[in-house]
Amino acid sequence: MEKPSRRDFLKLITNALLGLGGLLGLAGLIRFLNFKPDPGPPSEFDLGEAMYFLPNSRTMRPDIPAAIYQASGEYSALSLSCTHLGCTVEEEGEGFICPCHGSRYNKDGMVLEGPARQPLRELRVEKMEDDTLRLYTK
Amino acid sequence: MIKRLVPLFFIILALGMLLFASSEAAASASLQGTPTPLPTPTFDIARLDRPETSDPPTQLDQGALYYWGVCLACHGDRGQGLTDQWRDAYGEQDRNCWQSGCHGTDHPDWGFYIPKTNLAPPIAGAGTLARYTNAFELHAYILETMPWWKPGSMTTQEAWAVTTYLLKLNNTQPMGIVLSLSNGSAIPVHRSVSAPPGEKPGALLLVIVMALAAVGMVLQAAPKWMGSRSFPATATRPNFVHHLHPPSIPAVQARFRYTLGAGGLAVFLSLVLLVTGLLEMYFYIPSPEQAAISVETITTLVPFGNLVRNLHFWSAQGLVIVMVAHLLRVILTGAYAPPRRFNYLIGLGLLVLILLLNFTGYVLRWDEGIRWALVVGTNLLKTIPLIGEGFYEFLIGGSEPGSATLTRFYAWHIFGLTSAAAILIGWHIFRVRRDGGIAVPPPAQRADNGRITRFELLRREVLAMVIAGLLLLFIGLLLPAPIAQPLSSTSTDISESRAPWFFLWVQELLKYGDPFLLGVLIPLLVVLLLGLLPYRLPHAKRENLGSWFPRGNRIAQVLAVIIVLGIIILTIIASVTS
Repeated sequence: MEKPSRRDFLKLITNALLGLGGLLGLAGLIRFLNFKPDPGPPSEFDLGEAMYFLPNSRTMRPDIPAAIYQASGEYSALSLSCTHLGCTVEEEGEGFICPCHGSRYNKDGMVLEGPARQPLRELRVEKMEDDTLRLYTK
Repeated sequence: MIKRLVPLFFIILALGMLLFASSEAAASASLQGTPTPLPTPTFDIARLDRPETSDPPTQLDQGALYYWGVCLACHGDRGQGLTDQWRDAYGEQDRNCWQSGCHGTDHPDWGFYIPKTNLAPPIAGAGTLARYTNAFELHAYILETMPWWKPGSMTTQEAWAVTTYLLKLNNTQPMGIVLSLSNGSAIPVHRSVSAPPGEKPGALLLVIVMALAAVGMVLQAAPKWMGSRSFPATATRPNFVHHLHPPSIPAVQARFRYTLGAGGLAVFLSLVLLVTGLLEMYFYIPSPEQAAISVETITTLVPFGNLVRNLHFWSAQGLVIVMVAHLLRVILTGAYAPPRRFNYLIGLGLLVLILLLNFTGYVLRWDEGIRWALVVGTNLLKTIPLIGEGFYEFLIGGSEPGSATLTRFYAWHIFGLTSAAAILIGWHIFRVRRDGGIAVPPPAQRADNGRITRFELLRREVLAMVIAGLLLLFIGLLLPAPIAQPLSSTSTDISESRAPWFFLWVQELLKYGDPFLLGVLIPLLVVLLLGLLPYRLPHAKRENLGSWFPRGNRIAQVLAVIIVLGIIILTIIASVTS
């Protein structure tokens, strides 16, 4: 290979420096655009006093969205987010139906009819020391 | 050999970049506020000791000290409020605040009354401070109402310090941020945030790299040191950017002491404005409630956000100066003579557009700093006979400035005026080439008939951009762009009453009489006079082009200097007197 002239070498270094400058700018740009100003939705919900959830009842909370069950003193909850594409499902008899694409679930959140394939997600409910319920969506 | 090493070099660089970028992910993790534990039944007297502070005390230390000395008696040592448990920490005779001699209904002159309900509430723990979303609101409330027995006695510094301490009690103290009017609105009360890792090291590295590249570009053009006169190497193929330039131009057209590089610099600053403006749009929220807060978010919380905003601000200010220098150069060298008359008018139109862009951009801050500039600037339009009222309402979208005004100024700033400016810039550059390049004498009368290639021209342009970019980076790192607390309808603070600096001369004129004459007609007359220069006054001779102060257009030169000096003097008077 031919020995590069002094100018070729200088040009190479200069272009490399300009390239490095560009990459530095790009790194800064990525960090700038990566910032998320919004904290995101809450993942814990205070459901109020446990005594208001009657035995063998189902309470719809579309704002969370979740359905809270009480069965023989045990509390449980189902997410109301359709596992297909995330619309909030509505009550239909014992089970649920999604208004967007018609997925149906039974009362335990199992799929009765597509297009959804996964059952509704179970959420964690805890009874706190002061007899209130707390729901965790994560 | 060297060429084979190039890919390796870039791979190493890319790996370095990844490391650099990932450090941010670790730093941005935030904590949810957790309730402070309630005081234990057995009271440990050591809890009342003077808080330890560092030297010099931080803002948090100052807040802790002030709280310890003033707030603690009622709000508790842990922010628990005036609970029974907390009152038990007092001496026997002071436990019942309402029966003691100091705080009952019949308190003596030096005492004060404490209502029995809803006073000295808890200020730390779950559910407290629910009224406040950001630190600025909390600070404003403390400043106005606290301490209970002497509201209004705190300084703003003390109020910010106590605000920081309250956030600390709630585990949401912003890490690495000193609270002030210029960032308080961006700091949430119920969520912890932290300052982005410093932007200075990264930016300084960039400055060093670009400075070295500039040295490389200068050295490449030093023929003696390089051992040959031909530049660039013979077999170079022109790329796209080269093709935007003519194959070669007369060397006299590219002489810095003639052109000042002002036109090219204006293009460069416009590009910087475009890029930084696009970046700001990712975080700016054009609503009256959110605008100023989002600007504070960009400056305090977004990595490199402060730098981006400073670059946008300083490029805009620099652009006005560079454009005026460009205009003066064109007049003082007689370069606007036919066939360049029309392009001169396009340039003048661009100057007006850029001033409008600067003004609309200034208003988008929507903080206390812009209050009077917005009111005065738009009220001036009302003074125009017949069409004034209609024009005013069209511009601000209502009968007084409000949310529609912000939306409209935003639309004008990011789209309407920007599109118009982009079209005129393209046209202006096209006309420069169409009119035979920069004004110089015909070949026979030139002192130097040498030519430079497009390669050399581009090298000089890139060099000028690198140097200008370096300067801009320095200024952007050292000088922060102005910012104030969010614009509010109730604020009684004295806001900045000065116009933005490029309209200070108009503000000064307005002090002397009729607003329509002085605030509308005279600025219009200035533009009209400048626009008529090439059409009503004698021109420089062709052989005298390309040098400063040709004899032919002396009248125009004197007129332009008088106008610019007049504006500068008015600006100086305005900035000295107010």
